[in-house]
Amino acid sequence: MAASAADVRSILSIPSQSGTPQATQKKPQAQSARKPEGISRELFSLIGSSAPTLAAQLLKPRLKQKPNLGNRSCVKWEWRSFKNDARSDGLQLGHWTKASTDPTTPYPFSKYNIQPTVYKYTDEEYTQYLQDQAWTKEETDYLFRTIHEYDTRWYVVFDRYEYPGGVSRSLEDMKDRYFSVCRKLVRNRPWTGDEASKSQLIQSFQFDKEREVTRKKYVTSLENRTPEQIAEEEALFIELKRLEQNERRFKRDRDELLRTLAGIDSGLPDVVEDEASLTAPLPGDFLKRKKTKSGIGAESEPAGPSNTIALGPPIIRKPQNAKSAAYDAQHCITRTEQTGSGSTTKAAHQPAFLRSFKIPFPKAALAPRINQGLTELGINPTRLVMPTRDNCSRLEALIEATTAMVETKKTMDKVEYEIRVAKGRLGIRESEEAGAGGGAAGESISTGIPVDAMDVDEAEGGGDDADEELAEDGRAQSVASVRSARGRRQSRRSMSISSVDTSATLPTRAGTKRQKRG
Amino acid sequence: MANERVRVRGLSIFRPIIYGNTATVLTPKEREALPSPDHTHKWTVAVRSAASKDGIDSVGGADDLSYFIKRVAFKLHDTYPNPSRTIDKPPFEVSETGWGEFEIQIRITFIPESGEKAITLYHHLKLHPWTASGDPEPIPPLDVAMKMGPVHSWQYDEITFNDPYQNFLTILTNHPPTPLPKAKRKPVPFHTSHPASLEASKGGVPEFTTVMEKEEADRLEEAKKTVLKQHAEMKLHLEEKERELKRLQKQLGEA
Repeated sequence: MAASAADVRSILSIPSQSGTPQATQKKPQAQSARKPEGISRELFSLIGSSAPTLAAQLLKPRLKQKPNLGNRSCVKWEWRSFKNDARSDGLQLGHWTKASTDPTTPYPFSKYNIQPTVYKYTDEEYTQYLQDQAWTKEETDYLFRTIHEYDTRWYVVFDRYEYPGGVSRSLEDMKDRYFSVCRKLVRNRPWTGDEASKSQLIQSFQFDKEREVTRKKYVTSLENRTPEQIAEEEALFIELKRLEQNERRFKRDRDELLRTLAGIDSGLPDVVEDEASLTAPLPGDFLKRKKTKSGIGAESEPAGPSNTIALGPPIIRKPQNAKSAAYDAQHCITRTEQTGSGSTTKAAHQPAFLRSFKIPFPKAALAPRINQGLTELGINPTRLVMPTRDNCSRLEALIEATTAMVETKKTMDKVEYEIRVAKGRLGIRESEEAGAGGGAAGESISTGIPVDAMDVDEAEGGGDDADEELAEDGRAQSVASVRSARGRRQSRRSMSISSVDTSATLPTRAGTKRQKRG
Repeated sequence: MANERVRVRGLSIFRPIIYGNTATVLTPKEREALPSPDHTHKWTVAVRSAASKDGIDSVGGADDLSYFIKRVAFKLHDTYPNPSRTIDKPPFEVSETGWGEFEIQIRITFIPESGEKAITLYHHLKLHPWTASGDPEPIPPLDVAMKMGPVHSWQYDEITFNDPYQNFLTILTNHPPTPLPKAKRKPVPFHTSHPASLEASKGGVPEFTTVMEKEEADRLEEAKKTVLKQHAEMKLHLEEKERELKRLQKQLGEA
């Protein structure tokens, strides 16, 4: 601050008032002497000499040296007149050129003036090859002249073309005439070069008038669209894209669903599926499966075809006339109802199979008995001599019936066993009633401690005895009663049985016992 | 064209075929000529159309199956040189000599129009004469077997195509199979599932007929009737037993 004040004073040429400014004035001088390069004076006075590192950093970067663009003297240009070799009229024009260029060099742009090959024809050639109903020789001559005059610049030719007394010619007419004449001339004149270059040249004279006209019409109509039409077109295009996208998404979802539901059976990658398969009512399939499952659950029912493999989809014959039936029979065709959920539930295709593959297997648990039963009847449950569709379904029905029978047999065995048990108990009870004392003694021995313990707290339970308990009790007693005649092992088993019984039905059993004893 | 590759829904079409083998005992002379003299039989395993051709002494083969079968691969026992024999054109059969019976894997590939995967089936090569009771009987000596004539073991089956492609269906309907004869003209082909046919199978080259199908249908129906009858009886019996059980339980309960 002090320094700036001194500066102000010196700028305004205010003489220093006291001795102190003298001192202050000396200081900046000393400082400025040490001021490093590249740092402004103001900044230096602010930060002082105490920050040399900072000063070094703030040092102004050295710029690249300005390129030396040469100290040569300026190029000298001069106005010269020149002669264009491409001109035939020998017109003299002038232009600026470097003085250093050789004045004798020819005009460099004259080489770009290339004269196209001019096709000319003699009268003889014209009469021989070039006759055309739409063109007179005079007009053709005029056309060729004009073309030559305007250097085959078609639009100019078209603009300037004005044959006196001739019909108006379109650009395509002229092109067609010109190119066809050229083609014919090239083709019919003796050719010195090789065939390839000849055909290449003919190719370059190729002109399809129709196509050209159509093309121009298209371009015109494209250009003449109204903004509304353009907008509509764009909207339609967007709509189309959107539909395509939707279609793709649907297909993907559908495939996903099929894969999930049908798994490997769907055969998606290689099978071409038509629309019908996609509309198949899948939920119906699930419902059906559920039903069959509940069929297995119901045991008392005569077993259905619950786990047997069905012979393909259920076959419903279509009402058909005799003729188509005969046709189907001849070609071995079976028709199934389309509409029902049965035939089309499986969205996936059922692959080709042999009839015998579809012979059903009986339930695994019952299989040995069913197979035995069928073998006794002279039927092989796994192979048929003639596995036709009818025979396969017959076999299926037979296996079904046998399964039902075997299940009934099982129930019967159970009932018979129960009858035996009940009879046994009745018999024992009778014999027990005959000699009650002995029986009771035997029982107490056989049951041992658990019973004794129970006897201690012979509770007030009891009351009505269920048949079941009674029966079990009877068995325990029966075993006990014969214990004396049998070995020790027997008695131990009986004990265990009775003790199990007791633990299960304590009060009841206790009650019974008391009743019997008393 | 697109219409051609649409599946015809709700339609299944099948073609009856037979597969199996015929085996004959080699004469001692023939055996000497063989590179492996331990071979006792010569046999032919084949896949053919079910109906037999008139005037030709073979089982089946009336139709040329190549209109829907592209190739058949027979996988012989590993001891044979190149055990996998692929036959690309009819007749789809392999002839060999050998001494033992074994399982032959037969793989049928369909023409591409079908869009179907190949199916695989198995045939037990049968060399020794059939016996009524099956395996336990001893194999008769060769000279006895020779007198019994060639052994035939053929299985009838139906290749079923579900929802065929339109163009495949057209191919199939252009080749209706020769129907099986309605009456028995030749011996019946023996089948283990019908041992009673042993006698009827003797005396020449057998032929499949619709009579066989009818017979089997009758047998199945008969068996079903028997089973149903037994089942009905059993049910009556069961009811009776259940009543008895109830009575007994009641008795026990009363006491």
